[in-house]
Amino acid sequence: MDISINGARIIWTIENVPLLGKINITQTVLMSWVVMLVISALCIWLGSKLKVYGISRKQAVAEMAVTSLVNFVHGNMGPNFDKYIPLVGTIFVTSVISNTISVLGFWSPTADLMTELGWALVVFVIITYHKIKSAGIGGYLKGFLDPLFVLAPINVMAECFTPVSMACRHFGNILSGTVISALIYGALTAATHALMGALSSSVVVGIIFVLAGVAVAFIAKKKGKTVFFILGIVIGLLGLFSFAYSLGGFFSDIPYLAVGIPAVTGAYFDWFGGCIQAFIFCTLTTLFIKQAAGE
Amino acid sequence: MNELYQSLVAVEPATLIVTICNLFIQMYVVKKFFLSKVLAILDQRRAAADQEISDAKAARAEADEIKKTYEENMKKAREEASEIVSHAQKTAEKRADEIIGQAKTQAAQIKEKAEADIAKEKKNALNQAKDEISGIAMAIAEKVVERQIDEKDQEALVNRFIENLGDAL
Repeated sequence: MDISINGARIIWTIENVPLLGKINITQTVLMSWVVMLVISALCIWLGSKLKVYGISRKQAVAEMAVTSLVNFVHGNMGPNFDKYIPLVGTIFVTSVISNTISVLGFWSPTADLMTELGWALVVFVIITYHKIKSAGIGGYLKGFLDPLFVLAPINVMAECFTPVSMACRHFGNILSGTVISALIYGALTAATHALMGALSSSVVVGIIFVLAGVAVAFIAKKKGKTVFFILGIVIGLLGLFSFAYSLGGFFSDIPYLAVGIPAVTGAYFDWFGGCIQAFIFCTLTTLFIKQAAGE
Repeated sequence: MNELYQSLVAVEPATLIVTICNLFIQMYVVKKFFLSKVLAILDQRRAAADQEISDAKAARAEADEIKKTYEENMKKAREEASEIVSHAQKTAEKRADEIIGQAKTQAAQIKEKAEADIAKEKKNALNQAKDEISGIAMAIAEKVVERQIDEKDQEALVNRFIENLGDAL
């Protein structure tokens, strides 16, 4: 079998748009709207019925989230950049929801470089604004000639690569998770077909395996040996699967081995990696802005 | 169904623009419906807590003041009470002295009067006794001497006798 890893699916194409030419409405755009709806609903729900005293559990969560966000921004940037709290919070929560939505089998918008590049460009504009504000437009342009004017092209490149590196770091991590998940899934599917193909050469093999497995499990249970009991169940299940496989049709299309194992790798790449990348992106945002403001 | 896919790393300006617009709209929603609301609540709670603390401080100061006034009043009252008591004691002593003095004077007067009465009574008794004795003496003398003596002489005689007798007594 062949494994194909593609970008976002193009759902709809609009031709002959002025300036842009052909516009592809992709899964990324659609899913980013879904993510937006989810976050907006969450925000409106969490932000409703707030009380000063006698708060509910929901409000405690909301307050904890806001407090940790404010502490995060204050810790990285100091108290003078409170206006960027919404930006950092929005990027973080959008990133986390986008990364983890793939657990549910949806296309995650962060698996498209354009999403991260959009965020990174916004951050880049803010960085540049602060650089010009703190050094003046002359000082900002002069900065490119530092330490030698010969290095100016490299400095310009370094400046431009800030958003590109930010975007690619996040995108690469999510993409690698997607690729690895696809590879594991493909590998397990192939292994299922190989194993079942061998076992289900005849219906009898499956039945024999089921009987043998049940027997082993039964005897092991009587003698109290857990290892053999599990072994018996595994053999029995294998027999059951190969029996189902040998029936052909729908049953031979189910990749039995790929049922539980991808969840383990998914837990790392989708949950852990997703949250870490969101955190890193926000940390870099705050640090770059602070550095640009020269404080 | 013919499914079209982008390449793995595709540059798509439309998606980029949509993403940036999404970010700003999302930021507005997050700020308006969540962040500013929760932050306002947190600020309110902080203000309320500050208010409580300042109220508590004010209440304590007031309580301290009241306690001070109370203590002062108590002290004053105690002083007044002791003054009243000592004044009363003094008055009582004075009155007792007066009463005792009066009693003594009265007693002395009574004693004097009694003595005078006694002396008077004694004198009266003596005079009576003298009269009776002179009568008796005269009767005796009449009987004994049996001689008619001039009344005047006789009386002088008897008086002398009695005076001698009184001296002898």
